[in-house]
Amino acid sequence: MEKKYGVYLCKGCGIGECIDFESLAKVIKKEGKIQFVKEHDILCSPEARAMVLEDIKPEGEGINSLVIAACSPRVKYEELDFPNVLVERCNIREMVAWTQEPNNEHTQALAEDYLRMYCARVKKSELPEPYQSECDKTILVIGGGAAGLSAALEAANGGYDVVLVEKQAELGGYGAKLHRQTPSSYPFTTLQEPTVFKKIKEVQGHPKIRVFTNAQIEKIDGQPGQLDTTLTVNGSEETIRVGAVVVAAGWRPYDATKLTKLGYGLSKDVITNLEMEDLARQGKIVRPSDGKPANRVAFIQCAGSRDPEHLPYCSYFCCLASLKQALYVRQQNPDALAYILYKDIRTPGQTELFYKEAQSDPGVMLTKAEIEGIALGGDGRLQISAKDTLLGEQVLLEADLVVLATGLVPVTNDEPVLNLGYRQGPGFPEIEPYQGFADSNFICFPYETRRTGVYAAGAVHQAMTIPMAMNDGAGAACKAIQAVEHVAAGMAVHPRAWDETFPDPFMQRCTSCKRCTEECPFGAIEEDEKGTPFYKINRCRRCGTCMGACPERIVSFKDFSVDIIGSMLKSLDVPELEDEEAEDAPFRIIGLICENDAMPALDAVGLHKLRLDPRVRFIPLRCLGSFNMVWVSDALSRGVDGMILLGCKFGDDYQCHFAKGSELCDYRLGKLSETLDKLGLESDRVKQYQIAHSDFDKLPQIVNDFVKRILEIGPNPFKEF
Amino acid sequence: MADQTVIKPDLQFVNRVIAAGGDTVKKCYQCDTCSVVCNPTPDSKPFPRKEMLQAQWGLKEVVQDPDIWLCHQCSDCTVYCPRGAKPGEVMNALRKLCIEEYSAPQVLAKMVGDSRYLPMLLAFPVVLLLAALGAIGHLHLPAGPIAYHKLFPTLMVDFLFVPAFFFAVVVLGRGVLRYWGDLNSSNPWKVRVEGNLVGDLVATLKDIVLHNRFRLCETTYSRSTNHLVLFLGFIFLALVTSWGFLNEWVFHHESPYAIYEPIKLLAILGTAGLLYGIYNIIQQRQANAEKAGFGGYYDWLLVYVIFAVGASGLLSWLFRLMGIHILAYPTYFLHLVSVFFLFFYAPYTKMAHMVYRTVAMLYARMSGRGF
Repeated sequence: MEKKYGVYLCKGCGIGECIDFESLAKVIKKEGKIQFVKEHDILCSPEARAMVLEDIKPEGEGINSLVIAACSPRVKYEELDFPNVLVERCNIREMVAWTQEPNNEHTQALAEDYLRMYCARVKKSELPEPYQSECDKTILVIGGGAAGLSAALEAANGGYDVVLVEKQAELGGYGAKLHRQTPSSYPFTTLQEPTVFKKIKEVQGHPKIRVFTNAQIEKIDGQPGQLDTTLTVNGSEETIRVGAVVVAAGWRPYDATKLTKLGYGLSKDVITNLEMEDLARQGKIVRPSDGKPANRVAFIQCAGSRDPEHLPYCSYFCCLASLKQALYVRQQNPDALAYILYKDIRTPGQTELFYKEAQSDPGVMLTKAEIEGIALGGDGRLQISAKDTLLGEQVLLEADLVVLATGLVPVTNDEPVLNLGYRQGPGFPEIEPYQGFADSNFICFPYETRRTGVYAAGAVHQAMTIPMAMNDGAGAACKAIQAVEHVAAGMAVHPRAWDETFPDPFMQRCTSCKRCTEECPFGAIEEDEKGTPFYKINRCRRCGTCMGACPERIVSFKDFSVDIIGSMLKSLDVPELEDEEAEDAPFRIIGLICENDAMPALDAVGLHKLRLDPRVRFIPLRCLGSFNMVWVSDALSRGVDGMILLGCKFGDDYQCHFAKGSELCDYRLGKLSETLDKLGLESDRVKQYQIAHSDFDKLPQIVNDFVKRILEIGPNPFKEF
Repeated sequence: MADQTVIKPDLQFVNRVIAAGGDTVKKCYQCDTCSVVCNPTPDSKPFPRKEMLQAQWGLKEVVQDPDIWLCHQCSDCTVYCPRGAKPGEVMNALRKLCIEEYSAPQVLAKMVGDSRYLPMLLAFPVVLLLAALGAIGHLHLPAGPIAYHKLFPTLMVDFLFVPAFFFAVVVLGRGVLRYWGDLNSSNPWKVRVEGNLVGDLVATLKDIVLHNRFRLCETTYSRSTNHLVLFLGFIFLALVTSWGFLNEWVFHHESPYAIYEPIKLLAILGTAGLLYGIYNIIQQRQANAEKAGFGGYYDWLLVYVIFAVGASGLLSWLFRLMGIHILAYPTYFLHLVSVFFLFFYAPYTKMAHMVYRTVAMLYARMSGRGF
């Protein structure tokens, strides 16, 4: 299809008062070589939209490749999006009108450079075509506990086929092994029958859910939309194809035998909260040692949780469980006492009301305490020594029965569960801040894991209670549905959920160096027997890390490639310096910025009308992981004096959309500085900074300081060539 | 471990605290807001947080804790408590249990604390006084100018009231001695016996007379003023009573007194103080009920008895001046009943606070609890 270009300039939001549009149009026509230029006072208005829609009609002007020079692409998305045409958004509002002195030569030069770059860009970009592949929309749910049951029902009620795989013989998980469950609805005062039973019934009667019990996942191969899953069910193998996975494999209790300090193993009368649940279910809370009634029961909270020697995290359910079991004790015998010794009582959400209810029972007694030890008294009673209690510095409390409120460990902590046939390994990656849980970017993308199309719910995701796990299962099911639908439509799953482009390598030039396979954060690139990489596109999140990694520069997207950015860099006007000592000497600096964090931060700089140095031109990248080193030579050979890169903060605890793009970029720059030094160019000319979404107030200082440093170093010696 | 405290929770005690007006005790979740906002509390081991927890755990020793008496129930804690646990009311309930614990016989203390026994307790002075009148054949209104000794001969009044007064003194004295012993044996703050008992007692009494601690209250600051006026009223009336006793038996100066006599003026001033104080206390309690708590039967019993003493005294005087026989003598009868009630049951009612609080404040001063 022949490309017909058009540039639309918006004069609204103060842009028109800041820039000389006449000379801007001249630059577009003469240097950008696009003759179709239109301006409008409010380009996002219905009238302007009607105008553009008229222009893009094939029978009319037939404009099909547009540059829209207006506001940031993060706003007015719907108003300025047009069907079946290529649209490149050039931000002259936040980056020019809102951050520069109006109507001076530097501002004008900046606006003109932006238009030069985007005219170059629109010529190289192409209209994306979705990646078409076979897609099975069945959703696999691993785990038949509270989260898994809820996920299966949510997906099945949404019209999707569901395969539910449970390792045990019965559905329900720990939720089915309870005597009673803590209340989960207002007024949160009365204990209820375990709520999983209702869900089990619904699941078993649902025509769209296939349930496999006594079943294990042996292997999952393929990619979202085409995940070939091998199960062993009662010893025999079965293979099914699914589209996306909800991992709700649940938890196991923390190993109480490690809690000797709290008396586990000392006496049969020191039990865990699960053992207490069994006692209550059998109908009589007695001392396991002699079968006598337990009239003084002490609950020890945080048994293994929030303890650097055991589990560092709060297991979330144990406080509620102990309050509930204290009521078991009281309901069995009105003269019995239940003592709860805690670090802090944590009853999430509205379960605070249940805490109040349990606490109002005169026989439920609570105190903060640090447990020193548990000993066996002469009469067979247990003696609990505690310090830092509110009842006294050092206290001794006698009990017939001690219940350790042990916490939970996600099964993903020590089993891969998924058994993925991926190059990156069978399970989830270990991410230090998540402490064994299969969590990912919890701020922006809940339920998502580092494996595309695989979503975590329930206790593998975070420590949580049964009602929370049920909500979590439903949420993860919605994400799984989104995944199969996006795969079917040929779009990225997330975070670029609108994106129809995909990496399209020019394989003839591949040298099988495997940098892309190593660096892809999502394992989207596998290798064949000969070691040649190939893509599993449906695992890909379109960050472009492979594009940045490839030394042969063979990876391209339709609207994002090494060449496209390179062409933008080469299109710049780099004026000669008449007086390089002058304060406003027209140095030229390029800013490559992460579009997920640094770009919104820069938009916020504009929103707050802060000033940026007019000599810096910003180009957004999908991720700094897509930064290719050739761009540095493109820019420097053009005469650009410096390059500033703004990426996310490093580390697992920072929420980079693509896990480690910024760190990869930093690694590449480390190699680059050697090369620059060899060429006699100061390595300070190219520098990366870590910026969070909220750091907008620090940005002008960072950018202006960098410009100052470049002025100190002096002009790029290649300028005159 | 040597300094390990053995915790012995007692469900019955928790239930007693709840029944005594501390029904909110279980709501406390130990955030410590109460101790932070409390002005009268010492900085180390502050109240009322620890008392709330001890009460929740049914630790009976809490009644031996002097801190329950250092609390003047400002109710700042109750106002700021985020859970509505009303620590001020719980401390009040603990004080009630303390009085109950140390007064003998305890049965009487329990009856005083229970509204069901009020008719029986009231009946005692009524029957006693009627019996006395019957014994001397005075069961009719005397004729002529009103003079109350015509109905109740002074000797008879003294014969009934002096023993009642001494009964109260003995019961209170015994209780307080036991309490002092327990204070010294069961608390971590040991009293310096070599300390200056007289000096400390004088300083404590000065604090009490000037209401220095009471004036630290914020929410219910006006209570300290009302209580001070009431307190001074009581002192004036006590002086009047002693003076009248001397007049009767030493100077042989017969009552009733003329209005311009100093003793009468003092009596009028005392009565005014008493009535003004108690009236304002009633008003203030009702106005602050929502945020500071309304108090229980035990509190209101004393309030109304004092009110009855003051009101019946005033009315007796007015009716006498007006010469209305039919109202004057019965009112005087009621006055004697209420005064007897106040005196005789003083060791068991909230009235006993004057002794226990004084002792606890003295103990706090001697043991260096920041007093």
